[in-house]
Parts: sequence; C-alpha cells; structure tokens
Amino acid sequence: MSDRSITFLKDRRTGELVEAALIDGVSRQEVESTESAWRPFLMNSLEERRRAGNSELSPPEHSHWDWRRKHEAVRGLIAYRMFGVECDGAMQGLMLVSTAGHPCRIKEQKGKEQVYVDFVATAPWNSPSLVEISKFSLVGRVLIATAVQLSMEEGFRGRIGLHALPQAETFYARNCGMTDLGNDKRKEELRYFEMTPEQAAAFLR
Amino acid sequence: MAGDKKTMTLNLTEAEMAVLEKLSLDKELSKTAILRQALRLYQLVDNRLAQGDTLFLEDKEKKNKSELMVL
Repeated sequence: MSDRSITFLKDRRTGELVEAALIDGVSRQEVESTESAWRPFLMNSLEERRRAGNSELSPPEHSHWDWRRKHEAVRGLIAYRMFGVECDGAMQGLMLVSTAGHPCRIKEQKGKEQVYVDFVATAPWNSPSLVEISKFSLVGRVLIATAVQLSMEEGFRGRIGLHALPQAETFYARNCGMTDLGNDKRKEELRYFEMTPEQAAAFLR
Repeated sequence: MAGDKKTMTLNLTEAEMAVLEKLSLDKELSKTAILRQALRLYQLVDNRLAQGDTLFLEDKEKKNKSELMVL
C-alpha cells in the first residue's frame, strides 16, 4: 500500500523551493526504476572523474547499497517502512526504517521505543561527495523529518536512532541535533546517534 | 501516513491485562501501541526462525549468551 503527500525540496540551480512527493510504501517497481537511474549516473560520474583525474571528490559511502535487495528482504514485514522523495520525475532519496526491535540507548530514554533508520540515501546527483553542484538539497532533512513524524504518530514522541556513515556524521550531529553515543562495535564501528523528544521538537521547528 | 485500520475486541485474562498495563506504563505507550509493537516483533522473530536462525539473548557485562526458546 502506497501513500503520497506533498513536501518540498530546494532546487540548487534556482535556489527556489519546489514541490515534491513524499512516498510512504515505495513499491518494487519504484525501487527498480530508482536503481536503474541511480546506478548508471553513479558509474558514469565515477568514470568521468577517473578520466579527468579528479581525486578530490569521493563516491558516497552508500553507493554499494542495493535497494532492490533491501526492499525484497523486508517484504511483508510490518515493522519496516520504506519512504521515498520524488521530484522532477525521479526518486531523489530513499529511506528504510523499522518501528520495532531497536530500543533507545540514551540513559533518560533507555528501553523506550523509537523509529530506527536502517538506511537513508540521496540520489547520486544530489550527493555533494559525488557532484560539485547537487541538483536538489533538503532530501536528507525531509527524510529524517519523516522518521521523526512517524515516531510521533507511533507514540514514540519523536525518538529516532541510527548508525551514521562517516560522511554523514556531521549532518546528524549538527543539522539534526542528535546525540552522538560514539562508535558501536556491533555495527562496523559506525557512530550511533539518537534523538530525544526535545531534540525532535527543536529539529521540526 | 498510516493505512486504514480495523477494529477488534480483545479478551484478556487478569494476568495478561496486568502485563499489558505494566508495559504500557513502562514504555509510555498506549495498550494498542504495545500490542502493535508485540505483533511487529513477533512477526520479525518468527520470520527469522522460519529461515533457520536462532534467537539469542546476550548479557554484555557477563559476556554470556543464552538461546531464547520460542515455541
């Protein structure tokens, strides 16, 4: 079952906010067409850079993620939800979250329920680590705000948690105002971040 | 964001209701939300067990693991 609502992204070429669709329940077909668009763009960009000898930019750390496999792995499991942001006829970002099985770790909310962001990625043409001028910004913010909103709807008061790839640590700490709980030995030494209800309210303000 | 919902009546024993009320209090969630979480987790665990996985509980401090029997 798929649900669409209106959201907004920033067009980096014009600096204007543009209407986008937030998809709750991304379909298999949508994931297929996303991968078909993202993968070639990524490969072409990397090849172009290799030929140009440009070593300053590095590919996004999530560029190996296979969204078809992730979609298939959680098919029919009610704890998982996949969201997407579509704009300009293409998927600009995807996020997979789980609503059970990841209790909070911050002392003040230890054991409480939260929405855990399993995977979140922006399209390669929006990735500052891949292109010099990204097409749309606010994709990550819209998706994290969606996770917070879902957390509120579930009665989790905006609590969310996630393990960050190194390239995204600053975004979660500074832009989202989440608490950094340090490296997690159980999750490839990735830093674990968590958001409290107070931080969630400040983030959505 | 949520899909269509169906309503059902649930009959619980006193002991079951006491557990539900305690969880509801501890987790600061409604009883409906607790049951929803239980269903999500039960499906996740059942799915993994059906694939041949085993469910373990681990005590980080004592560094021991024990298998959780799921019937």
